[in-house]
Amino acid sequence: MTYHLPAWVFLIPFVTAISIPLVALKGEHRCRPLALAALCVTAVVALMSLGSVLAGGEIRYAFSGWAPPVGIEWVADEVASIMVAAACLLALICVLYSSPLPAGPLEGRRVPYYTIVLLLVSGLVGVIYAGDLFNIFVFLEIVALAGYSLVAVPGGRALMSAFRYLLMGSLGAAFYLLGVAYFYAATGTLNIADLAQRAPGLLESKAVIGGLIFMFIGLGIKMALMPLHAWLPDAYADAPDSAAPILAALLTKVTLLVWVRILFWVIGSGESVQQVDVFAMVWALGVLASVGGSVLALIQTDLKKMFAYGGIAHVGLVLIGVGQGSHTGLTGGLFYLLNDAVMQCTLFMLAGILAHQYAARTLDDLERINISSPWVLGAFVVAALSMVGLPPTGGFFGKWYIVLSAVESRNYLAVAAVIVTTLVTLAYFARVLERLFRGARKTPLVPDVETPLSFRTGVAVLSVAIMGLGLWSDRIVSVLLDATRGLGR
Amino acid sequence: MVELIQAWLYRPNFIAFVILFLWGLYITVVHHNLVKKLIGLYLVQTSVIFFLVTTSAKSGATVPVLISEAGSAGPEMYVNPLPHVLTLTAIVVQVATLGLSLALVAAIYRQFGSLNEDEVLKRLE
Repeated sequence: MTYHLPAWVFLIPFVTAISIPLVALKGEHRCRPLALAALCVTAVVALMSLGSVLAGGEIRYAFSGWAPPVGIEWVADEVASIMVAAACLLALICVLYSSPLPAGPLEGRRVPYYTIVLLLVSGLVGVIYAGDLFNIFVFLEIVALAGYSLVAVPGGRALMSAFRYLLMGSLGAAFYLLGVAYFYAATGTLNIADLAQRAPGLLESKAVIGGLIFMFIGLGIKMALMPLHAWLPDAYADAPDSAAPILAALLTKVTLLVWVRILFWVIGSGESVQQVDVFAMVWALGVLASVGGSVLALIQTDLKKMFAYGGIAHVGLVLIGVGQGSHTGLTGGLFYLLNDAVMQCTLFMLAGILAHQYAARTLDDLERINISSPWVLGAFVVAALSMVGLPPTGGFFGKWYIVLSAVESRNYLAVAAVIVTTLVTLAYFARVLERLFRGARKTPLVPDVETPLSFRTGVAVLSVAIMGLGLWSDRIVSVLLDATRGLGR
Repeated sequence: MVELIQAWLYRPNFIAFVILFLWGLYITVVHHNLVKKLIGLYLVQTSVIFFLVTTSAKSGATVPVLISEAGSAGPEMYVNPLPHVLTLTAIVVQVATLGLSLALVAAIYRQFGSLNEDEVLKRLE
């Protein structure tokens, strides 16, 4: 029974997504409960799968019984199961949160909205579980197509952002596929476990090096790594409020996870490819992305763009951790990845609430409004603390392990980059919080309104999750440490 | 140098792939017309698919079907079918991207009355 759980986590949202347009023929009001129920069941199954993986070791699911090197394999190890459970829970909260929102741009498009969100979730599950490089490509494209269409929904400016996103994303996919073709030509296999046997011996081969470079460029575009990030801020800022949290939380993070898998699970660690230290390249890119992203966030006036650049900076922080190549660094990077997904989700949810209820989209708008809702302000403070990285929150512990690994490998430039990023993050959140609280003293130009229940549950659950990730960080980190044992140099 | 050129000339398919790929990339970057950008994108995607197919090309080989019970012919008799299967899937992905991107371009044209990127951006200001 437990053996089939990973497949169910994929099939439930996928089948529901296909059946939603049919159900909508009977009445559009049935779509939302159906989508929510499907996501609830998916989250429960994902948690059951996580539980059985933690108790009984990894599940290697061979589709229709074909043994792995020939057939298609899904690997539900600890890391993948934790990420899938987090992705399903976040998607559930995002859809729960979106209920008062569709009044605006989504009017008349609720049926496609729920269909696409469910397809997005099934695609994400596929990317995380997939055990071979080509499957990852297919699922990444499912995720990306869902992302393009969600971004384009409001029309106007968003159409152009979605078009650019599509152009960059598809080029990234083409690069990735080219890299996969090189790998296949050189090794004769696509299965990650099989590649892990063959690739480390072939690292001198030009085809494998070329394949690695193309795959990293392709994934770099898709995860908005610093020099290739230009599509992201526009796309996330113009995406509808109901879709932005789920896109911001999961899309780039899942691609980053694929990169980490190729680095550690495929080419192995401690290897330098023709005198080039791959990990040095990774952390150097991480330094560039984290410092550059946070400085760009500081000069933004649009809230969503500010948070989007913050997300780019945090991708860089994860890469700094991973790029140390050590066991601690990998664990810290993965833990920070998890935190970052939750933080980005919270921030875009809050930006959506501010835009929807107070029509506040920029820093100056914040001075005109008076928010008395403890839910919104409290969540803002918690998310800001975690983004900056102060102790009770998950963000602190993620950064702690990243800095620890950098110090262990005597990489003081990386430590300095993390500290600079922290300070700049503090600076731009100080700008936001200062305006939020100063605005509260003045007479408001926009009347305060009651925060709807779904907004309150959304931000409350996520704030608790941020605190929980901090308070139980030792448990989660020890699980991740066990899961990644033997990886890293 | 001569050896390198000789090695290239033995693999005309790779040369064709590189030309198609770079040509597509060039069109995508340089042209201002959105549809032309998309044409460049498809050229890039198609060139990658072309590359995948040519890696499995083999002269004198046949389809991987068991011809007779006794005929356990060696692997040199058969073409590796996997790249073709990958290609089919990649084409499906490409078609989906094509449909979505054309729908986007149509929506942009309806909204802004232009397919030129500069004009659309000017109207957005």
